[in-house]
Amino acid sequence: MDVFLTSRIASDVLGGLTNGVIYGLVALSLVLVWRSTGILNFAQGAMPMLATYVGMVTFGHYFGYWICVVIAVLVGFLIGAGTERVLVRPLYGKPEINPVVVMVGFLTVLEAVAAAIWSSTPRSLTTPFSPIDFHLSGKPFALSAFSLYQIITAVVVMVAVAVLFRFTNLGLQLRASALAPEVSRLLGVRVNRMLTLGWTLSTGVGTITAILVASNFFTGLTPQVMDGIFAFGFIAAAVGGLDSPVGSIVAGIVMGIILQFVGDYVNSNAIILVALAILIVSLMARPNGVFSPVKTRRV
Amino acid sequence: MNRQRSPRGLSAAGIVIAVAVLSLLVTPSVRDGVALAILMMLTVTSALILLPSELRRARPVLTRAATSTMVVSVTLVATFFFSSTTDFNLATGAAMAVTLVGLSFLTGVSGQVSIGNGAFMGVGAFTMAIWSNHHATTPIAVTLLLSVVAGALVGFLLGLPATRLRGPYLAGMTLAFAVAFPAILTYFNSWTGGDGGLQLPNAANPPHWLNALFVHGTSSLTSSTLWLTDITIVAAGVAFFFMANLFSSRVGRAMRLVRDNEVAAELVGVNLNRTRVLAFVISSAYAALGGALWTFLNNSVTPATYSFALSIVILSVIVIGGIGTIPGALIGGLVYAYSTNVINWITNQTGLNPQGNFASQLNGIIFGGLLIVTMMLAPRGVAGVYYTLRRQRASKRGDVASPPKETYAEA
Amino acid sequence: MIRVQDLTVAYGAVKALVDVTFEARTSAITAVLGANGAGKTTLLRTISGLKSPVAGSITHDGAELTLMKTEDIARMGIAHVPEGRGVIGEFTVEENLRLGALTAKVDAKQSLASQYERFPILGERRRQHADQLSGGERQILSMARALIANPAVLLLDEPSLGLAPLITAQIMATIKELCASENLTVILVEQNASSALRIADHAVVLNVGHVVANDVASVVAEDEKLRQYYLGMVR
Repeated sequence: MDVFLTSRIASDVLGGLTNGVIYGLVALSLVLVWRSTGILNFAQGAMPMLATYVGMVTFGHYFGYWICVVIAVLVGFLIGAGTERVLVRPLYGKPEINPVVVMVGFLTVLEAVAAAIWSSTPRSLTTPFSPIDFHLSGKPFALSAFSLYQIITAVVVMVAVAVLFRFTNLGLQLRASALAPEVSRLLGVRVNRMLTLGWTLSTGVGTITAILVASNFFTGLTPQVMDGIFAFGFIAAAVGGLDSPVGSIVAGIVMGIILQFVGDYVNSNAIILVALAILIVSLMARPNGVFSPVKTRRV
Repeated sequence: MNRQRSPRGLSAAGIVIAVAVLSLLVTPSVRDGVALAILMMLTVTSALILLPSELRRARPVLTRAATSTMVVSVTLVATFFFSSTTDFNLATGAAMAVTLVGLSFLTGVSGQVSIGNGAFMGVGAFTMAIWSNHHATTPIAVTLLLSVVAGALVGFLLGLPATRLRGPYLAGMTLAFAVAFPAILTYFNSWTGGDGGLQLPNAANPPHWLNALFVHGTSSLTSSTLWLTDITIVAAGVAFFFMANLFSSRVGRAMRLVRDNEVAAELVGVNLNRTRVLAFVISSAYAALGGALWTFLNNSVTPATYSFALSIVILSVIVIGGIGTIPGALIGGLVYAYSTNVINWITNQTGLNPQGNFASQLNGIIFGGLLIVTMMLAPRGVAGVYYTLRRQRASKRGDVASPPKETYAEA
Repeated sequence: MIRVQDLTVAYGAVKALVDVTFEARTSAITAVLGANGAGKTTLLRTISGLKSPVAGSITHDGAELTLMKTEDIARMGIAHVPEGRGVIGEFTVEENLRLGALTAKVDAKQSLASQYERFPILGERRRQHADQLSGGERQILSMARALIANPAVLLLDEPSLGLAPLITAQIMATIKELCASENLTVILVEQNASSALRIADHAVVLNVGHVVANDVASVVAEDEKLRQYYLGMVR
């Protein structure tokens, strides 16, 4: 067992899992917004990035890690709600390229503003967790206190979102507003509030993701830190199905593991090429996502 | 034939003649005079073709050819008198406009959008450089065509899933491609030259036919880098001519129908899948041509140029110019060519520290902000505002308002 | 009681309803009849705030509804069962009912239980997805979902649409029963005039947006002209 845990295969699986939960979280936050408002939010990485700067850097001067995490997530909620109210609401019912363009513009502005305020130099966030791999009978294996923290946090967030949507009245209203807005209004559901809440939740989930990404000793926090992560998260969401929260999380984790093997056995620059290939092939085979039931396209 | 002439045509001819006289008076060399005279003749001929309005209606292809020729030859004449910096800016903008008109086409006639056209430019730019390094003797036109083919192929590959998907998926996929592109270049670094990029082998040597044209001359066309800018502008003109025809061709109409009403399109026998992929392939090919022209113009290519940021800038300038329109691409190209100057000017006027954080990010804040503001207030950009004003004026005069030729995604 | 006064509704330049005036009394069924395109569905959509009128007013027990939001109208106890039932197919029967109970001031568990008691078929299928139900079962589900919040007004849009005559008769009987037992104000929009007139107390006949008859149901049912021209009923 010890030998297996320290083997190359096991370390790739563990390393892949650590990355994969991040892709899954980004995918989940994209799905939350897509399902409630039919918009693919291209600023889904940049909005949480800004919240992370405010919470972890600005407030980092005054408070400890955990208080800053709470502040950052609250700021994330605010950014999400404000964006939906101000920027997104006028876009409902417009041709589909309008929200795409506006959100790309927002992404650009947010990254530029963050770089203007905090500069583009990477900042390392001090976490209470060590990035050094655990050792097993003298040999390291690809799991550290930090990666455990990352995996556990991600799983907790995913379960919390699932519980909210499955088992609470609020979740029922969120789902109903996404599936049948008019019927929901006839039953007294405040659909507009639910749309705002969908964006709020999504940015909150995104902020936790961004904190995990930025807390990583090797990347640190930069204005562009979420660009690449967003691309992988989008690929996971598209492969798993933008309508399917579970599918996109599973796709994210599986992709994380596959790509870890590619990076280890082929070349780290091949990772994104393989990811694109996975996207193209899976979209051609199952346009609505690998985990979605085969249905006619939504019109 | 009707001899009646429109005042606009007359004034155009007047300007042409004035410029011709002026050029003969100030031309520094006889050889330049010859070149300018040829351009003048082209300008006058195309202006004469454009004069009778019946002809404009009856022969649209000829009209587009004449318009392209006139715009190109007037620009070429101008390049003889501008500073080399201005010429270079114009040519850079012209190459960018080629990329933009491809994106405009994609959105305008198919309702889709790509956020990865910077990467497709990169495909063309590197194809141009790599091919020239291996086959230095290939004529420029052929190398440019090869770059276009390469862009089309990559576009086809990425566009294949577009047969099954719509809108945001394609945008997301092209964004992933744009983000991935630098890593892809690094992966193939034995070909792409790594971080340093590639130099063209026969840099700054004008092609033989151009030299042969001016055997004894010291024309500024071949003795300076003017030939680089002018060939770029001519290539852009040719690309625009084809695109103008494509916009109103059967293919273009079929694509608009797919955009507006899939069911109707299928009923009249349009192949939805093929049409969507074709639109995307054409847009990618045009982006590749723009990139290849940049490589040609700069005699070199560096991977840093083709970052994700370029793709966003491309989207910004075409949205500002007017996405879905041909003039929008020209406006966008000009905006791009002078954006650095404008931003430097703003930096100076506002007294920002040019080395400071804020000044270095002004680019992103302004372009991103303009993207949002334009989409919210005038989704068809400058060109759209112009069309709206023209229609209002026409209806005020009591004319029957004729809708503009181009249609838009966000009408 | 719902009062509709001089109501005019338009889609762009096309007027769907013109100066429509009528009353729907408490504990009574008011049938709104007419051919396709007469404006029946538009009338219900305007009452529940999905469509705003050009002119006129709608009141419920004296309270003005005209400018209120759909959600608030629903929360006032005006339940609208839309055309095509509006059950959410991806939800289970129970989830659909829970959604209806959200605005109720009563205990959700208890009201769920009372609906299962009233409609045993729903209790049997509570865990099934709503898109697996038959047409009649869906109609019952959407009515139960509307009733669970104890509304004062029930707006029914074509409940008989696509149902077999026997099922239609059962649904109509249920509506009649509910109206009496719950003191409901029922506005029943129907194309199937004979079924509706059998249970209605009052009838309003619409033709291209105009009220052509507004009388006691039995009078409308006996009027040869109305039957022939507007209701498509042949003896």
